[in-house]
Amino acid sequence: MTTRISVKNAETGSSVEMELEAENTVEEIIESAASYWEVSPGAYVLRRGKAVLRGQSTIVEAKIREGDVVELIPDPEGG
Amino acid sequence: MKRPRVVSERKRAILERSPPPSNRSRPHFWLKEEKRSDVEEALAGTGPLPLYISRTAEAEMRNHSISSGNQNLEAMGLLLGDVFAHSKKSYTVVKNVVTTDLEASGVSVSFHRNGFETLFDRLDETDFDYVIVGWYHSHPGYTCFMSPKDIETQQRMFREDFHFAVVLDPLKLQIEAFTLHGEGCISVPFAVYQEEHEDPYGRKKLSLKPR
Repeated sequence: MTTRISVKNAETGSSVEMELEAENTVEEIIESAASYWEVSPGAYVLRRGKAVLRGQSTIVEAKIREGDVVELIPDPEGG
Repeated sequence: MKRPRVVSERKRAILERSPPPSNRSRPHFWLKEEKRSDVEEALAGTGPLPLYISRTAEAEMRNHSISSGNQNLEAMGLLLGDVFAHSKKSYTVVKNVVTTDLEASGVSVSFHRNGFETLFDRLDETDFDYVIVGWYHSHPGYTCFMSPKDIETQQRMFREDFHFAVVLDPLKLQIEAFTLHGEGCISVPFAVYQEEHEDPYGRKKLSLKPR
């Protein structure tokens, strides 16, 4: 049983449709999206609405459902 | 266990649109004299500048950097806008900025780990379909440049031609915009633009002649 979601890249406005298994984690979603867009996975947080989705949570724990839209947000550091 | 699989992508189209007109665009008043002349020259030319920042976004960044600078802290936020094309050149428009609680010192800055909910609230309050076209931060008292940490951030997150970093020094009253170039960053000219409706004095005078 797979779950299909949209992942939006806030830095380009593009989005991908992604197929997930129940055991997949939020971290894996970030890694897959970052790999697809060739950006560094450690530099982003994933949000659904107001909530930050935590890295080690599975999609079941994070209550990610079919048709959800999540967004990859940059987490910059300045010096 | 299978890893998440990307099955399709929808790219955002770059719309063809004229840049803000030169009579409503000007160099930033914190720019050094020679850079101000460069912007004025570019505005008098035919092609778009690489970057336009709305007066609203500029004021937000400047005020944020001043209030943090008064406490000797860096400020930081995200640039929200869009990318357009004109005369076969692309350009970026920053319409607004968003920020949240920060972990800041006089020489470093990042979003506070508990600040994301506020940041996301502010993103949701945005009244246009935004693209995060870069970031801004301040160097209170240290002038405007891209430090090794800043360049690393630019390389990791803001690698597209239309991505920019705005650096402000609220104590020396300086501002500069940068983009990636090779292994480092280069300064780029930018203009501050005013929306037509923001200028109540720009309308034609009413005629007072009797009929």
